[in-house]
Amino acid sequence: MTSADVREILEIELPEQQPVTKESLFSDDKKQKVFKKEKTFKKPQGMHREVWGLLFTDPRDAPPLLPSDTSTGYKQAKAKIGRSRVRPWKWMPFHNPARKDGAVFYHWRRMVDEGKDYAFSRFNKQVPVPTYSDLEYQQHLHDENWTREETDHLFGLCRRFDLRFIIIKDRYDRERYPDRTVEDLKERYYHISNVLAKMRALPGPEAKLFMFDADHDRRRKLQLEKLYNRTQEDVEEEETLMQELRKIEQRKREREKKAQDLQKLISAADNSDRRLQKKQPKKHMVAHKLSKGGATVTSGEASTTPDTTGIKFPEFKTSGVTLRSHRMKLPTSLGQKKSKAIEQLLEELGIEQSPMPTEEVATHFNDVRCDMVLLYELKLAHANCEFEVQTLKHRLEALVPGRLASLNLPASAAATTTPSTSGEAGGDSPGKTRKISEIIDVVGNAEHPSRKRRAALEQRDIMKKLKGNKS
Amino acid sequence: MSDYGSEGGGRVKGLTIVKPIVYGSIARYFGKKREEDGHTHQWNVYVKPYRNEDMSTYVKKIHFKLHESYANQNRIVTKPPYEVTETGWGEFEIVIKIYFIDPTERPVTLYQFLRLFQSQANIMLGNKNVVSEFYDELIFHEPTSMMQQLLSSSRQLTLGAWKHETDFVDKEEKTLSAILAAKSKIRQEIAELNDKLKVSKEALKVLKDEISKAEAEGEEGKDAGIKT
Repeated sequence: MTSADVREILEIELPEQQPVTKESLFSDDKKQKVFKKEKTFKKPQGMHREVWGLLFTDPRDAPPLLPSDTSTGYKQAKAKIGRSRVRPWKWMPFHNPARKDGAVFYHWRRMVDEGKDYAFSRFNKQVPVPTYSDLEYQQHLHDENWTREETDHLFGLCRRFDLRFIIIKDRYDRERYPDRTVEDLKERYYHISNVLAKMRALPGPEAKLFMFDADHDRRRKLQLEKLYNRTQEDVEEEETLMQELRKIEQRKREREKKAQDLQKLISAADNSDRRLQKKQPKKHMVAHKLSKGGATVTSGEASTTPDTTGIKFPEFKTSGVTLRSHRMKLPTSLGQKKSKAIEQLLEELGIEQSPMPTEEVATHFNDVRCDMVLLYELKLAHANCEFEVQTLKHRLEALVPGRLASLNLPASAAATTTPSTSGEAGGDSPGKTRKISEIIDVVGNAEHPSRKRRAALEQRDIMKKLKGNKS
Repeated sequence: MSDYGSEGGGRVKGLTIVKPIVYGSIARYFGKKREEDGHTHQWNVYVKPYRNEDMSTYVKKIHFKLHESYANQNRIVTKPPYEVTETGWGEFEIVIKIYFIDPTERPVTLYQFLRLFQSQANIMLGNKNVVSEFYDELIFHEPTSMMQQLLSSSRQLTLGAWKHETDFVDKEEKTLSAILAAKSKIRQEIAELNDKLKVSKEALKVLKDEISKAEAEGEEGKDAGIKT
């Protein structure tokens, strides 16, 4: 039986001992941590919880810099009626310095304030409207459209209405002076203000000048009015037009770029054509010398312009073993349309899609395919060009009817294809040599077996329309 | 013979040696479907040099990878004739990988689609065999001196005649002439189109000028209208 138990039984009060805790039993030398009891602020009675929360939520937060006294206030305390002396009030006149007429009014005021001016007159701020003397007017401010009286009238109104030009315009004396727009009034006012400021400028900081561009303002207001008056349909129409415009411009840019590239291509192709034509007459077999092979390989690598603008074939400069057929492989960067065009052309010309890869064959095959791509691109550019010509023709007709006929246009390309198209449409007469370029269907995109016919028919339709327009 | 060094000697700069080869497959129909395994054709896939020579001087081995349904689908042949003969019932692609004596040279891969079934043309011609043969060339660019020696010292393989199923000489001639004809035709077309394009551009320019002129006149007219 411990003493504690005895005391408990006997209910003898003794100084409180700390209850046995686990820490006290197990901790050896560690000092026992005693948690300081944190000081919490008590919410004053009567104050709402949320309001208290605004002031003070967490005891750990730093207290506000200016601790406020919250003991009072928010308590629905009884009104404190002071026992001190009542301050007397008197019915007295007062003077308002803001008034110009010197009228005297009366109101209740504390005796203490007797004789003082009206307290609120200090709020009577005036806009600083400049004044000018006659001399100044004659020297600097003279204007042909504005008489002296009118200018004075304007400035009077400015002072009266605190430069509120809308009101000034409304109150403007229309009987005596011409009808002025807000911009006119502003222009005149700011012009005079600036001139006077410049004249009177003290040496030192520059005078503050008003920037007012009357024209700009007039245009701006006109535009805003138009904008405000738009109907819903107008808005939609505008939106669609904007989109169309963007698309058209983009396409036009692309086409122009392509046409530019093509011109370079064409000149390059002409050069390469001349160069290779020299090599053709020489005939050599597969078993022929390597030196020749080396020469043609290097010349192929040297002429970069046809290669890069046509097709970039994988070149093998590294040492190692490769197959000839590798060099004839089409790069994947070519794109579906061009590959398809090449395929069709090869078929038409009776060449295998992958012919026997000897050295000569490989070189010529690659060249031919480059040329095919060039042809395709040219055809594309030509079609675009023609389309543009057509649109421009229509536009010109719309602008100046009859001008088109008077123009001496170089015979358009569409006209020159008539003999061939009529030959096409007339049932592929075997005698006529068909144009290779017509096989490439640039205009249409649907997969159609009778594509050749369609291309020819389309051209014919365009021709008919043209003729119909002209007549 | 000089000392080759650890890697067979350095690479010979600027040198390119071309070795033409022929590869392909021949298939023959039994005449009936074999009962035990359903095979209907006997076929043979091969790689041969175009000329009568011994490829094993520079080729270490040729690896034919058959369809997975074949036991031992990887067939390796180390000496000529480089071929695999088998029976089967279906067509598939065979991967042919040629490994060279020089270990620094990477192996070359060819793809041969094994053709078993007759085309209409074949049936009409009355051919018993289905041949699918291709010509290709191995291009050795800057080989090591060891390789160069091996490639140059090729001996004849057989004493007899050396032929292929396809007449490649003839084929080459035909292909080349077709391509060259096509080339000149296309060049011609390009020139024509070029001219047409120039004409169109001219027209375009003229029209643009006219339109801008017309627009300017229109503007003047409008301004005149306002002022009055």
